[in-house]
Amino acid sequence: MSLAQLSPKVGFPAFFRFREVAGKVVVTNFEGNYLILEKDEFARYVEGRVTPDEPLHARLDAANFLRDTYRITEAAEAVRRRKHFLSYGPILHLMVVTLRCNETCVYCHASRANMDQVDTDMSKETAEKVVDMILDCTNPFVTIEFQGGEPLVNFEVVKHTIEYALRKNETVGKRLEFTMVSNLSLMDEDKLDYLMKHRVQLCTSIDGPEKLHNSQRKLATMDAYQKSAFWMKRINEKYVEAGLDPTLYHVEALLTTTKATLPLYKEIVDTYVSLGCKTIFLRPIDPFGFAERVRLRVEYPRSAYLEFYRNALDYILELNRQGVEILERFAAIFLTKILQGEDPNFLDVRNPAGAGIGQLGYGYDGAVFTCDEGRMLHAMGDDTLRLGHVATHTYRDIVTHETVRAMTLASNLDGQPDCVNCAYQPYCGTIPAHNHKAQGSIFGRMRDNNVCMVHKGIQDYLFEKLADADAQTLKIFERWTTLRPREHFVHDGGDA
Amino acid sequence: MSDIPQGLVSFDVGKAAVTMNVDADVYPLQALYGAAFIFIDRCYVFIDKPAQGQFRVTLGARGTVEDEEALRRLVGEFANELLTCAWRHQITQDNRMLIEAVTMQAIGGAAGSPSLDDLANFDFSDDAFEDPLGIAQSWEEKHGKKAGAGEDAT
Repeated sequence: MSLAQLSPKVGFPAFFRFREVAGKVVVTNFEGNYLILEKDEFARYVEGRVTPDEPLHARLDAANFLRDTYRITEAAEAVRRRKHFLSYGPILHLMVVTLRCNETCVYCHASRANMDQVDTDMSKETAEKVVDMILDCTNPFVTIEFQGGEPLVNFEVVKHTIEYALRKNETVGKRLEFTMVSNLSLMDEDKLDYLMKHRVQLCTSIDGPEKLHNSQRKLATMDAYQKSAFWMKRINEKYVEAGLDPTLYHVEALLTTTKATLPLYKEIVDTYVSLGCKTIFLRPIDPFGFAERVRLRVEYPRSAYLEFYRNALDYILELNRQGVEILERFAAIFLTKILQGEDPNFLDVRNPAGAGIGQLGYGYDGAVFTCDEGRMLHAMGDDTLRLGHVATHTYRDIVTHETVRAMTLASNLDGQPDCVNCAYQPYCGTIPAHNHKAQGSIFGRMRDNNVCMVHKGIQDYLFEKLADADAQTLKIFERWTTLRPREHFVHDGGDA
Repeated sequence: MSDIPQGLVSFDVGKAAVTMNVDADVYPLQALYGAAFIFIDRCYVFIDKPAQGQFRVTLGARGTVEDEEALRRLVGEFANELLTCAWRHQITQDNRMLIEAVTMQAIGGAAGSPSLDDLANFDFSDDAFEDPLGIAQSWEEKHGKKAGAGEDAT
């Protein structure tokens, strides 16, 4: 008799992973279904003592946790749905149009250049070559994200890129989206009119209340917050004037959590709400750029971050219960995977990660990197993640580069110690560039890895809330996982 | 760091170096390479094989070392990295098919089909593969009439 002919007895468990959370046990299976079991239920499940006549058997069976009724086709379909992103190339293309920036952020991850360093501006010729490579990409939907430095410093090249890309896309026919990450302080009505006309999605950085923001993001005039806030309001007005739904179309901002941020969780959330944001992304600081130099001033243990995160999320949930719409992005990413069985394709929480296969970074000089962090490392003198150059390499050369293969292998959680047994594996992801910088190899060591600790801690919090099963909280979570595409920003081929 | 089993490690604070003996039955050589490589920006790393079934790793710190405790921390970090590499070596073998399938799909999905330009530029200069059974030979080459001495083969 072969093993395939063995009939497991009724109630025998199929493959599962588990983790104890708040006195209960979270079990997940290969395809990412989850159940939250009481400890005695878990013990009986593991020992194969669950009988068909009890409700637990029905729960286990419905979520595909039993060996004798395991539905392989259903599981395969679920895995295929989760990994839909594998069929296409990079969706996100980050263009560093200049390294120059008029703001000085204490932690600047991009290693900004001074305003007189015009040699760090991208030329129009290079921008065209970048666009050529982007439109060669196999993904039918691509986002070109203008970054810096401060992209408004090199606005002529931003404009040239948009117009060239729209013209070229008339024949290529991709779905094309432009976004810009800007501190907004160099915005004016002419630039805004242009960006509105060309449907460029705008995003900015807000570090918290005025005092904190201005102490970490310094303008010569010491009014970085006022300028950002002014233009956020103005842009939101423009969206309304254009007849767009303000609940969907508004400026979002990014937070960089420093040591000074941690005690101010309430004030930070309130600031975001007051600025009209519907989303806040509680991102921990990264070890790139100037952040490494000033780490004693800005860094903190990740246990402190997780305490901050829990406090902030409790407060955000409380606001939502009072009718304020504010969503935390990390939570929404994980909840979409946990509750909807889908992957929102956030490239840093993906298995395998997006480096090279989900995103590419383009330096001001035309150098191509696996990801945003790759160009940050390059600015720090480390070229590990440089893949080539738009003038000398084809798109295919870039994505078949051995470094892309290595990054894909290194971020596959089925080959990663700890992750391979972690209950959160179906929802998680590691960042090879971060591992390389912090732990010396793109594989990293998850047991003492900051990203792993943050991801686990956030998912612990979310599963605690799912275990509590408070009706209002579950309703809020459901809303956070409902994707509302911003179609206004999408240019279909021929739009120009 | 807590006590290390006797005989496995020797410290030389004066030379800022530590030497470790690694059981080759416990840790595969690939794991040892992987772990050692992580340290080359901080240490000079030497690996040798003083006896059958045993590797010896010497980490010489590039900078000065204050005391034995600093060297012990280095040993601890190396041991953790070595364990991580050894386990990764094992699970990547266990899950090899799954990892390969995902990687091929990811790279294939990103690269897409080769264009005619890609094919035109393809490097065919590699030496011919071995073909002891003559599978790649044409029927004429394999079974056709052989040219006799003095005959034109065409």
